[in-house]
Amino acid sequence: MSDLLDVRGLETQFKTREGIVHAVNGISFKVKEGETLGVVGESGCGKTVSMMSLLRLIPSPPGKVAAGEAYFDGKDLLKMDNEQLRHIRGSKISIVFQDPMTSFNPVLTIGKQTAEPFLIHNNVSQEEAKDRAIRYLELVGIPNAAERYNDYPHQFSGGMRQRVMIAMGLICEPRLLIGDEPTTALDVTIQAQIVELVKKLRDDLGMSIIWITHDLGIIAGMVDRVNVMYGGYIIETAPVKGLYSQPQHPYTIGLLGSLPRMDESVDRRLTSIDGLPPTLLEKPHYCPFEPRCVYAVERCRHENPPLMPVDGDEHFSACWVNPRTGKEHK
Amino acid sequence: MTQQEVILKVENLYKHFPIKKGIIFSKEVGRVHAVDGISFNIYDGETLGLVGESGCGKSTAGRTILQLHRPTSGSVWFQGEDLSKLRGEKLRIQRREMQMIFQDPYASLNPRMTVSQIISEPMEIHNLYAGQAQLRKARVAELLELVGLNPAFASRYPHEFSGGQRQRIGVARALALEPKLIVCDEPISALDVSIQAQVVNLLEDLQEELGLTYLFIAHDLSMVRHISDRVAVMYLGIIVELADRNALYKQPMHPYTKALLSAVPFPDPFVEETRKRIILEGDVPSPVNPPSGCRFRTRCSYAQPICTAEQPEFREVVSGHFVACHFAEQLQNDTPV
Repeated sequence: MSDLLDVRGLETQFKTREGIVHAVNGISFKVKEGETLGVVGESGCGKTVSMMSLLRLIPSPPGKVAAGEAYFDGKDLLKMDNEQLRHIRGSKISIVFQDPMTSFNPVLTIGKQTAEPFLIHNNVSQEEAKDRAIRYLELVGIPNAAERYNDYPHQFSGGMRQRVMIAMGLICEPRLLIGDEPTTALDVTIQAQIVELVKKLRDDLGMSIIWITHDLGIIAGMVDRVNVMYGGYIIETAPVKGLYSQPQHPYTIGLLGSLPRMDESVDRRLTSIDGLPPTLLEKPHYCPFEPRCVYAVERCRHENPPLMPVDGDEHFSACWVNPRTGKEHK
Repeated sequence: MTQQEVILKVENLYKHFPIKKGIIFSKEVGRVHAVDGISFNIYDGETLGLVGESGCGKSTAGRTILQLHRPTSGSVWFQGEDLSKLRGEKLRIQRREMQMIFQDPYASLNPRMTVSQIISEPMEIHNLYAGQAQLRKARVAELLELVGLNPAFASRYPHEFSGGQRQRIGVARALALEPKLIVCDEPISALDVSIQAQVVNLLEDLQEELGLTYLFIAHDLSMVRHISDRVAVMYLGIIVELADRNALYKQPMHPYTKALLSAVPFPDPFVEETRKRIILEGDVPSPVNPPSGCRFRTRCSYAQPICTAEQPEFREVVSGHFVACHFAEQLQNDTPV
């Protein structure tokens, strides 16, 4: 598999009254053709901002992509002019936003909004675009799609709107679909519907997916690789099975421990991570997780660990300590 | 379960909200059947989990039990009194014993009050430590310590705290009057995962220390399993299944509970690989016009003609295991994994 997306040293900052917020601090990752990447982290860890930065959707000012390269199909998204970028956004890369309630234009019909990206990116007639939109609305499981084409967003429920969002994201058959917490606002039964749908479409259309979430449960069954983010850094990246069975970073271990599981003894006390996430107002010269870490050693207070290979050449963790032995890596 | 003392008894509780049209000659054109006849007991010292999807009426049920909404009909027995019949001063006295923790820690604390004012407000209302400012202050400090906050924070304002810390302030406020029963309305769903565990651990510790009884309302089934002794599942205004936690999660009998449990993702790729899901079709029907007969029949794969004709009784199928389904016995062993 070749690399579809290759991000190197991406850095995004926001200017605020309190100072510069270092939202993303030089992250690098790749997405292969046909691969599904999960990006996990808590609110404010930079997972959404990093994806928005790639597509240059960060409002500027106050935001600024300070450094980095992002090669999509060999071309740098961050250096392109707007015209070139417009040909990629919505057509080769599309994004499904988190909130199905606020991401639609309330005065345009669902059908128009679904057809819009196809109409913009292809030289087709209104009729052709409409037919295709109806086909995609059917594909994502909207009943009576042809009749509902002229309905407005408020006439749809949350789960239905999220399906329409996905139809909109898929209508140009993108090579990369970015889902920004696409199921977080939905109930579990609807969430299960959407996940099954996306898995099926991925296999049918052969696209790559980046799935952003804070829920370690939902991605376990659908992604190939996981990036765990904390304080604007990727602190662990691994194939999905390796991450869940052999988590290496103390933060990942804590995160997995704080989730109750339906197949475990109920008497276990949840392992909570004490303290609070970092404020991001300074770019730390130490490990960003050190203040909350139970394994921290002297070195963690002086040196920010880079991603280092552990456990084979697929699994990387940014930690000086081996949490299994409690000793520093050699 | 050994026979315990019933602390709260809910009988045939209904809460309908009218839908009105017109401004001057307003008339009722419909009703939202938010809570449509629920009955259950809560035992002293236990945690009863109440789960269901958004719009199923679980929060309304919690609020109606506390008389924050007055019920349309039905009764709520608490310490020998029917709360739905009480008014004014008598209700206020009962309220000392039952408190609430709200979902949104950002909206449920008054931004213009200090932490100390927030926590002492219930004491003021109930005339505790009246005229004894020192004692009240000491009590606030004690409460802050109890929920794991530094007593020195008492003079700060809510915006100076993070979500998890605010939720701790909300817990301290609920504890101020030493209540017996606390209704927790989605107390953790607005918090990050690692912070959720902190708050759940706190609630568990407090229960052990103070002998509290919780009604824990949530939509996160794995968290409810972790914290509850018994669990009730709501769908469209009614309770479809109520059982001991282990029985409910190991052998759910209602088709809705089965589907709900199978939809919960496991944080484990090895399990997820082999798991079969029951994918429910469609959406929850509108509570303005709930389906006739069994409410779940429109999405149920086992539905038969009788399900349209008759509303299934909420009955005890196995000791302590209540189900509202005509076919509970037949479906009992048909368990998804």
